[in-house]
Amino acid sequence: MRVSDATLGGGLVIFAIALAGYSQTFPDIPGQSYGAALFPTLVALGFAGCGVTLIVQGAGHGEPLLVRADWAREPRAMLAVSGTVLGMAAYIVLAPEIGFVPTMVALLMILFALTRVRWWVALPLALVATLAIEKVFADLLLVPLPLGLMPRLPW
Amino acid sequence: MTPIETALGLVFQWDVMVAIVSAALFGLAVGAIPGLTATMATALLVPITFFMAPVPAVGMMVTCAAMAIFAGDIPGALLRIPGTPASAAYTDEAYAMTRKGQAELALGANLLFSALGGLFGTAVLILAAPTLAEIALKFSSFEYFWMALLGLTCAVFIGARHPVKGLVSLFIGLFVASIGLGNPAAVPRFTFGSTDLLAGIDFIPAMIGLFAVSEVLRAMAQGAPRWTIDQTSMGNPFRGWGRLVRTYWRQQIRGNLIGTGIGALPGSGADIGAWVAYATARKFSRTPEKFGTGHLEGIVESTSANNSALSSAWIPALVFGIPGDTITAIVIGVLYVKGMNPGPTLFLFQPQNVYAVFLIFIAANLLLIPLGWAAIKLARRILTVPRTILMPIILAFCIVGAFASSNSSYGIIVMAVFGVLGFLMEENDIPVAPCILGIVIGPMLEKHFITSMIKSDGDLLAFFDRPIAAALGAATLAIWLWPVAMRAWRGRSAPAHRNLETGSQEEGDS
Repeated sequence: MRVSDATLGGGLVIFAIALAGYSQTFPDIPGQSYGAALFPTLVALGFAGCGVTLIVQGAGHGEPLLVRADWAREPRAMLAVSGTVLGMAAYIVLAPEIGFVPTMVALLMILFALTRVRWWVALPLALVATLAIEKVFADLLLVPLPLGLMPRLPW
Repeated sequence: MTPIETALGLVFQWDVMVAIVSAALFGLAVGAIPGLTATMATALLVPITFFMAPVPAVGMMVTCAAMAIFAGDIPGALLRIPGTPASAAYTDEAYAMTRKGQAELALGANLLFSALGGLFGTAVLILAAPTLAEIALKFSSFEYFWMALLGLTCAVFIGARHPVKGLVSLFIGLFVASIGLGNPAAVPRFTFGSTDLLAGIDFIPAMIGLFAVSEVLRAMAQGAPRWTIDQTSMGNPFRGWGRLVRTYWRQQIRGNLIGTGIGALPGSGADIGAWVAYATARKFSRTPEKFGTGHLEGIVESTSANNSALSSAWIPALVFGIPGDTITAIVIGVLYVKGMNPGPTLFLFQPQNVYAVFLIFIAANLLLIPLGWAAIKLARRILTVPRTILMPIILAFCIVGAFASSNSSYGIIVMAVFGVLGFLMEENDIPVAPCILGIVIGPMLEKHFITSMIKSDGDLLAFFDRPIAAALGAATLAIWLWPVAMRAWRGRSAPAHRNLETGSQEEGDS
């Protein structure tokens, strides 16, 4: 998804106003005239400056407000991108409940399906990759990958 | 025992050696895969280094980055897709050589001059860093403020196609850096009641998201098509090395100097070094008409530059704690985790660790020659692994790596958010690198800015009172004003310039 320079600039200006406004609620360091608000306010000024420049630069071109990139016109590519993002979100929610191994195998199967890997290739790959990651991270590096409903693997 | 003897003892241990060699193989594989950058390779290594002693941890990052920058040349030459952005400057040139059946000559030159460039940059690092550290001991908050700002300025303006979009990226990074409690007033900012956000945005999952996840999303959008390789057989890449050095020693030295200089500037790294060196090679060449037709001259100069920039980027990182490029930005995070806080005092209190890092630099660049040879030989096999299989597995590694940074789902959430952000940024031509440097340098910039403002009671002229601060400030302002001056200059000589541009475009296409 591509937005025109003018739209991007407009968005930045709105964000800058919100940022600057909210920053004014931060207190100063006691006894000093500068504190937590100064830096975010300067960042907001920077955003606003960039936003105005982009609006001025973009206004002359007459670009459409929102341009769909080539991939975004293909339903399959849209599905692949949104599927990947939703897959990550689902992993974040489900992994602590169900456990690393089943959730990761399921996520990999979904991703392989999105890239059109045949299931009989995908399934062993997903299993081997998940178990290899489990072995390295959980067993060797002692990362507490969530167990969830799964029993501890026998290594 | 002297610090150097201690350092030798720290480096030459079997576990350090195993760590370095495995990081080298990992770096070569990641660098050789188009789209996966040296920065991404380094970011993916971070979760593993949590569990290691400081020297092997830092050693792994050094070796991995050096290997990945060289390996980026391989798909550049074979497929015309640069493996890392640092190889992009001479990809067309190297690919033209492959089409003439000279892939082994191009890659052999890349390997030789990468290793030599890396050693040159290391020599400068070893000589310059301790001296600079002594000077840095006298720095006050004013000098540090200007150093930090100079770094960010270089990241945005030098070699940028759209300085305004670079600035947008930088401000995104600075905003992210201001989230949490870590500010001079210790006030929770933009946390909206979340306890996870109190500690700020964890830099490592953000990095994995911006570089790796965004690339996975891009590949998914394109349906992860296979790569096709033109040249099927590969000769001996070592052939003709002596002649290469005798013919191209001027380009090599100039490339090394340009790369080291640009790398040592805070905020600009190997990518920019390679572009500048390629342009310089063309400018000073006796046969500029051969450029773009498969000519070694430009390749030698820019490949010498990118690897030397990689080493010299460590100068500002070790001495001032200001990253020279995105790779050293990650390394600084690791140094803090390992108790090797970068800054001049590192040289006073832990000289043995500094020397150990230097030794690993030398070892990594020597190791590059045999391993690089193997990588050239194996490259075709690596590139036959279908991306449809590679990308999902990379995402799995990203998820586990992001989780390991905080041992909680929070890391994965940060990774996913920054992955989507990085994807959208690249879609809109907003570069990612300034954002990363903003996240890393932001807290330091704010701390020294607020301290300086309080010390000077709000008097901005005090920022120019001390001589070094004044020089750094002047340099920073000069870079800011440069685009404005250039635009004024172009406005005056517009017709002539336009002719030049179309001319170079045609040559580039040929």
